[in-house]
Amino acid sequence: MQRRDLLQFGALTAAGMLLPGCSRVVRRALPVQSPDSIALPQGDVAPLVRLVNRVSFGPRPGDLARIAAMGLTRYIDEQLNADDREDMVLTARLHSVEVFQTSAIELGDLPERAVVRQLQQAALLRAVYSRHQLRERMVDFWSNHFNIYAHKGWGAYFKPLDEMQVVRRHALGMFPDMLRASAHSPAMLSYLDNQTNRRGVPNENYARELMELHTLGVDGGYTQKDVQEVARCFTGWTVEDRFLRRRGNFRFDPAQHDDGPKTVLGLKIPPGGGQQDAERVLAILAEHPATARFIARKLCRYFVGEENSHWVSKLAAIYLQTKGDIKAMLRPLLLSPQLLHAPPIVKRPFDFMVSALRTLNADTAGSAQLQEHLARMGQPLYLWPMPDGYPSQTAAWTGSLLARWNFASALAHGEVGGTSVDLSALASSDAIAHDAADSKDHKQVRALAQIILPGQAATDRYTTLLKQLANHSVQRSEVAALLLCSPQFQWR
Amino acid sequence: MKIDWCSCDGTGFERAQRKANEYPTANTQELQPVNENPRIAGTPMLSRRQLLWGSALSATSFAAAGRSALANVSVRPGGHKAAQSTSPNVLVTIFLRGGADGLNIVVPYGEDAYYRNRQTIGIAAPNDKRQTQRALKLDEFFGLHPALSALQPLYGNGSLTFVHACGSGDQTRSHFEAMSTMESGAKDERSDSASGWLARHLASTQARTNSPLRAVAFSSVMPDVLRGATDATALNSLDDFHLHRPRSSPSSTSMGEQHEEGMHQALMQMYADGHDEITQAGRETLSVLKTLNRLAPQQYQPAGGAAYPETDLGNGLRQVACLIKADVGLEVACLDRGGWDTHIAQGGTDGWMAQQLNDMGQSLAAFTRDMDKQMRHVTVVVMTEFGRRLQENSGLGTDHGRAGVMMLLGGGVRGGQVFTRWPGLEDDQLEAPGDLRSTTDYRDVLAEVLAKRLHNNRLEGVFLKHYPRFCRLLNA
Repeated sequence: MQRRDLLQFGALTAAGMLLPGCSRVVRRALPVQSPDSIALPQGDVAPLVRLVNRVSFGPRPGDLARIAAMGLTRYIDEQLNADDREDMVLTARLHSVEVFQTSAIELGDLPERAVVRQLQQAALLRAVYSRHQLRERMVDFWSNHFNIYAHKGWGAYFKPLDEMQVVRRHALGMFPDMLRASAHSPAMLSYLDNQTNRRGVPNENYARELMELHTLGVDGGYTQKDVQEVARCFTGWTVEDRFLRRRGNFRFDPAQHDDGPKTVLGLKIPPGGGQQDAERVLAILAEHPATARFIARKLCRYFVGEENSHWVSKLAAIYLQTKGDIKAMLRPLLLSPQLLHAPPIVKRPFDFMVSALRTLNADTAGSAQLQEHLARMGQPLYLWPMPDGYPSQTAAWTGSLLARWNFASALAHGEVGGTSVDLSALASSDAIAHDAADSKDHKQVRALAQIILPGQAATDRYTTLLKQLANHSVQRSEVAALLLCSPQFQWR
Repeated sequence: MKIDWCSCDGTGFERAQRKANEYPTANTQELQPVNENPRIAGTPMLSRRQLLWGSALSATSFAAAGRSALANVSVRPGGHKAAQSTSPNVLVTIFLRGGADGLNIVVPYGEDAYYRNRQTIGIAAPNDKRQTQRALKLDEFFGLHPALSALQPLYGNGSLTFVHACGSGDQTRSHFEAMSTMESGAKDERSDSASGWLARHLASTQARTNSPLRAVAFSSVMPDVLRGATDATALNSLDDFHLHRPRSSPSSTSMGEQHEEGMHQALMQMYADGHDEITQAGRETLSVLKTLNRLAPQQYQPAGGAAYPETDLGNGLRQVACLIKADVGLEVACLDRGGWDTHIAQGGTDGWMAQQLNDMGQSLAAFTRDMDKQMRHVTVVVMTEFGRRLQENSGLGTDHGRAGVMMLLGGGVRGGQVFTRWPGLEDDQLEAPGDLRSTTDYRDVLAEVLAKRLHNNRLEGVFLKHYPRFCRLLNA
């Protein structure tokens, strides 16, 4: 962040909490606590690590032992039943993010990039510190599923409301509710041009992506004719004018609605339905078996890393049975023993960054400097231009390694603004079993390795490297950086 | 003052030599006056490549690090065979993402239907004296969008050609499907493959060098066209490509560099084996780092007074020029330019799309000027996933259509023509719901480029059993 930006921004910010000094105050008053114990549970921790890496953005020191003690079923149920309570560490830090606190009028006075910065800040803080990690993972999932590009039109200003009322509210709720909320969301109406979809000359953009990306999937059995008919159903769905003075709400404009008869996916929609035409379309799509399969496939890929046809069928059946209950789909998936031995999934840059911050128990304000690293890795949040969301394939991210390594090094050396790590506390932990003959350097290296690559470093090819590092008295920060840079840490 | 000891246009060598002489330990024997065209000279003159790899760099930044371990292991170049062979041709692809409106880029001003359907955003005919802003005449039927005026001289001198009514068989009109089709080199959305056509091209031809910069995408994520290529690299910018040097490392820059070297070596060890995509990518990244450490891309000065626009495309092409002139084994460069999905407020001779075109025209003109004679080794292909609907919509934009325009510029191009089998714009000539039909398969164009410029004779594997028909767009 430029100094000028800071000043300009600070002046506009009622709470002024984003000024580095003020955020330091919060961080001093409510520091991130060191865990009581960072010991690993006994035995083979690999399956546990795999599960925790899928349910959450990665373990913080002490998490693995705590989860092992409480039992996996209880852990997953606790995560599925997320409530609104959060730790003070997070609540206090979020308090400074005004895009979720102020009215649209004031929001409209902020520069667009300040709004995006705050959106990113909140997402980072929540992913790092929320106790409801599964919900945050699902927020990431749905934010990409219903992707909004903040730099198109008024996207940045509409996104905070979309974030709260579409994605966060329904992340673990009912899919049809989320779909309806998204269709009515000014952010989506504006992003996919439905606000200009009018009688006579419809705009097909939203209609197409609604079926291709939000519900049926591209193989879902719809035709170009269906796209045109759905677009006609959505004519007149628009955003209230002069949103800065009101709240930028959804508005149905009957004068712009095409009230003729339509046929969508073979079903007749009688004339004169008004706004109900598109509500009917949303209901048809939400209960369509192709939607059930499409959502099931995506969830499988996201959590298991592959599309197992048995699981896709099972989840799709649950979707149809429960009318799209997301929790009901997730529970058997996460409890499946298959997940414990599923193939590795590459961490996207956001996953990588958050997992690194968590594993080092970092104290962060989620500030602009952190966000710049994320952008360099290729995943600035809310800035993927296309409606399909950030790619999840490994091949899409093979170009991001240097930026990952550089973030790891900057983080471990305490050179990411607004973010600090206490490596000495982690490295000097005596909770880790040591060889009595170990030197101090060896102990530190082994402690860091067990925290960052739990259950891996001791048993594979890192042993040699770690020995060398210890023998040469390499600094703690460099050891931590290298472990975060390792190929293993790029996977979950 | 900036240190520009070694700019990529080769003009920095005298300065490099002076600089090198300040370091008595440096090997300066290879530094000789640079022949303007070392590969054509009959005497065994050293190529730029050898100069760069052999000594210029050891003489400067690495030498500053004194006894740095990395400098010892990495400065010695490998074999020089590639440098002594003929210069490899380079393919530069520019993908206009979002579906660029071909009908407003190369305007069929001879069609009444064009003007009937585009009353607001239509571009006036070259001979329409009522308008001050109008298309630039290409032939008796087609005109060029006036925002592309920078390209008109290139069309005039025969180095630029357009292919109209060109596209894939994709029927979905979905960006993602159509891009995926085109980037995978498939016929249509039902036949696309997981790998990209450029990745298959790279796999089916022998690399001229072992350069990690054989194929470069200027993009934060690897584009699909290179998916499956193990020798491709995605970069945001050449300038940013180095390992982090901690500020906290004790004082001097040489310590920062030693940290960097230590990191580099430890990373090499960690990524030494393993065949998953990440480990392979790590090895390639480390290799690219080595090569780029020997260049100074941030000091690059374009030749001939070429002025690149300060845009993503302008900067991207500037860096491509730098890599080509530095002779580091670049064969393929991929660039993207977004913002062509003009559903609303597309504009006509002014407005959003005109600005986009202006950027593209200025960028390509600067690149051509900068490359100068070397442009004969470079072929630029501009493509987009589909064109747009003939009829403008209520938002004064256009919706997704079918066929569009491709552009070929540079080496080997039989320029000065609009190649097309024009399907016409009347209702009965359009493809429902009102789109320009595709009469030239985009694969035929790409295949001709690969065959004639990059000497690929295994095209059936590249284009998934498509047997291309060449359109005589290029000379062999």
